[in-house]
Amino acid sequence: MPVGLQTEPSLGVPGKKRWAMVVDLRRCIGCMACVCADKAEYDVPLGVWRTTVKVKDTGHYPNTKRHFMPRLCNHCDNPPCVRNCPTQATYKHEDGFVLQRYERCISCRTCIAACPYNARHVLPKNRDRVKIGGVVDKCTFCNHRVEKGLAPACVQTCLGRSRIFGDLNDPNSEVSRLVARHKTVVLKPDKGTRPQVYYIKPDRAQTEQVFSAPQSYAARSDAQAFYQRNRGSKFFSGVL
Amino acid sequence: MFEYMDYNIAPWGHEIVIYFFLIGAAGMTFVYAAAPVVFGNVFGGAAKSMEPFQRVGLIASLVLLAICGPLLIVDLGQPARFLYPILYFHWTSPLSWGSLFLPLFGLCIVGFYYGSIKDNQGLMRWTGILGSLLALSMPLYTGLDLMVNQTRELWSNPTIPLLFVILSMSSGTAVVAVIQLLRGQLDQRAAEFLHAFLYLSLAVTFALFLAEWVVLNYGTGEKQQAWEIINQQFAFKYWGMTFLIGILAPLVLVAIPKLGRDPKILTLAAVLSAVGAYSFREVLIYAGQLTQINF
Ligand code: SF4
Ligand code: SF4
Repeated sequence: MPVGLQTEPSLGVPGKKRWAMVVDLRRCIGCMACVCADKAEYDVPLGVWRTTVKVKDTGHYPNTKRHFMPRLCNHCDNPPCVRNCPTQATYKHEDGFVLQRYERCISCRTCIAACPYNARHVLPKNRDRVKIGGVVDKCTFCNHRVEKGLAPACVQTCLGRSRIFGDLNDPNSEVSRLVARHKTVVLKPDKGTRPQVYYIKPDRAQTEQVFSAPQSYAARSDAQAFYQRNRGSKFFSGVL
Repeated sequence: MFEYMDYNIAPWGHEIVIYFFLIGAAGMTFVYAAAPVVFGNVFGGAAKSMEPFQRVGLIASLVLLAICGPLLIVDLGQPARFLYPILYFHWTSPLSWGSLFLPLFGLCIVGFYYGSIKDNQGLMRWTGILGSLLALSMPLYTGLDLMVNQTRELWSNPTIPLLFVILSMSSGTAVVAVIQLLRGQLDQRAAEFLHAFLYLSLAVTFALFLAEWVVLNYGTGEKQQAWEIINQQFAFKYWGMTFLIGILAPLVLVAIPKLGRDPKILTLAAVLSAVGAYSFREVLIYAGQLTQINF
């Protein structure tokens, strides 16, 4: 039973599916094939992403390491984006997908503010091929593929088999077995969102917000450019 | 390139900041205009000093509403769908409630104005009371809009809606003081009345500013991160525009017994407090969004 304003849960509810992803970071080689597959699947415009692979350098020469961390919508079991949307344009499917009704979204960006994982973006208004624009979009866990028995595009293309997808309510699924046997973490569990992307062996520098600030020179200049470009008044006007 | 996820640029920009400011000012301007009818003889009839402001105050709040309503609509990615929050009402979203209350507030202003033309005391009383409640709900819902984001710790704080109501008291007082001063109608009684409200709102703002300081410095990692961002990127707006110009200076002015009640000084203090009310909101709205962009 949901408590208070929580969304109706799917995790552990008999008769329901709870689609989830496990990302085994020991296997990720940072090839970005998943990012490309996703761009191709949805014709994701330049400048926005449904999924990324976060790159993080730690340490100082010669003791350095480069970490990769695929990021996407966590399809939270208790998603704050859904609770705060004024039009119910974003909603939670009973099998756990958090989806968008594009024809209803007013692009007020409340859901972007509500999401603690930066998983949402605004689509530009004028697009060449896909005509959906001027609304908020996000990863859908490829529900159109999953409902036909296919794996999400990023999972299918992942050459390290780092991304694994399945039904967490099914004890025999690969994701259930991985979550049962390995030490997994979810991002920001303290926010009460019950995220459903489980990471095997992430680095602390990737999971802790305060410590995840960029350290490498390239990342620092990236960050500076980001701040300079996106201060105050240009925030939204530049997006649409 | 991928270390910063570029698409998650803070989604609420200056349009929202201006809207939050103007809607608060519009609400409080209406409360002042309706005060003689709503409060009548309460507090020794002090609210009666606002009688000369009634009609012009109604027009002022309507004008403010006419600016910020369309501004909010234009800010949407899909302006034509501006009625959807009412049509597809979602009761857990403060934005839905705000979208419902906003036109009702506009209707109350028009109803009150109509009542004042027809000298219909009953209509004025009802639209005055209902309109004042709706007027208060405007800054309240804008604050709630931020507060309900439990994952943004600078916002997820029960003082934010209260702070926004108090800030709108300052900006509303500034609107009244400037208009009445320009019309040459800011007499001693009116100045006394406005002085009491400005003093109260500034004192509470000062207390909430300090509370914010404590909460951010004694808070979690994200709160400390927010404090760092405020001090690095918004230092001038936060300490200069908000604290020194917007809170401390006007508070000193209104606290000096004789000086504070002088109509011109009072108006100056009210305008300064409105500057603070704007920049306080601006810093909170922007900084609250920035804490997560490097996550
Ligand atoms: S990750 Fe963000 S967008 Fe996805 S369900 Fe959770 S809160 Fe919503
Ligand atoms: S931008 Fe669209 S999906 Fe997001 S909260 Fe607004 S209406 Fe809902």
